[in-house]
Amino acid sequence: MSKCKKENARFRKESDKEMINLVDNLNQDDDMRFNRRAFLKTAVGASVALGVSTVPFGVRAMMGLEDEDYERVEITKLSDLPKGESMTFKYPDDDDAILVHTVNGDLVAYNSACTHLSCPVFYQKEDDVLLCPCHSGYFDVKNGHPIEGPPQRELPLIEIKVENDTVYAVGRKYRHG
Amino acid sequence: MGKKAYWIIIFTTLILNVVMLQLTTRAYLGREFEIVPIYSGVAFVSAIVTIITFLQWRKAEYGDKKSSS
Repeated sequence: MSKCKKENARFRKESDKEMINLVDNLNQDDDMRFNRRAFLKTAVGASVALGVSTVPFGVRAMMGLEDEDYERVEITKLSDLPKGESMTFKYPDDDDAILVHTVNGDLVAYNSACTHLSCPVFYQKEDDVLLCPCHSGYFDVKNGHPIEGPPQRELPLIEIKVENDTVYAVGRKYRHG
Repeated sequence: MGKKAYWIIIFTTLILNVVMLQLTTRAYLGREFEIVPIYSGVAFVSAIVTIITFLQWRKAEYGDKKSSS
């Protein structure tokens, strides 16, 4: 009981009016700061902040509406990449990419930065999947879509062409499949 | 309009803006530049609706207090 009184005394405001001290459990400062109106004002602030924070994305997107032109780049000779093997290359410019000759004989290429936290992904021949070892993210090698782990988006697809036993990268698609 | 309606509108716009921010960032990172301005526009309009609703609520809330005192 005395402990309780001692605790309540912390919140007691000194006052000439004795009656005020009858409501020991109330802290007027808290009552003024954390109330229904303050709650609504915080919700309004949060809503406006969230709404306005999307504007830079919209502006940047409108500025970057033009489609990028991709160069045709030679990656490797098909005969140098047997089934079940993969190799890394840069496309476009300095973005890391991986070309996979799957065990089924398909040729696929993706940007190799994991869509979770940009660790490089590797081809796991045994399971025929792309693996991000940082957080155990798995991607389907056929379409680059995440199948397990933290990644939520697919790997950007590198469009490839094979001409005269040479594999070329000719474009990139971010959303596909 | 009742005060409860203002609360409902404000919390609806809050939920809408959370969803729009998620969709905007997802579309932006996925280079879907055609739809980013749509999501962004919806979120911006929603933010304006929030402000207008808040001003109306404030008028109703504090206006009542003044008239009652």
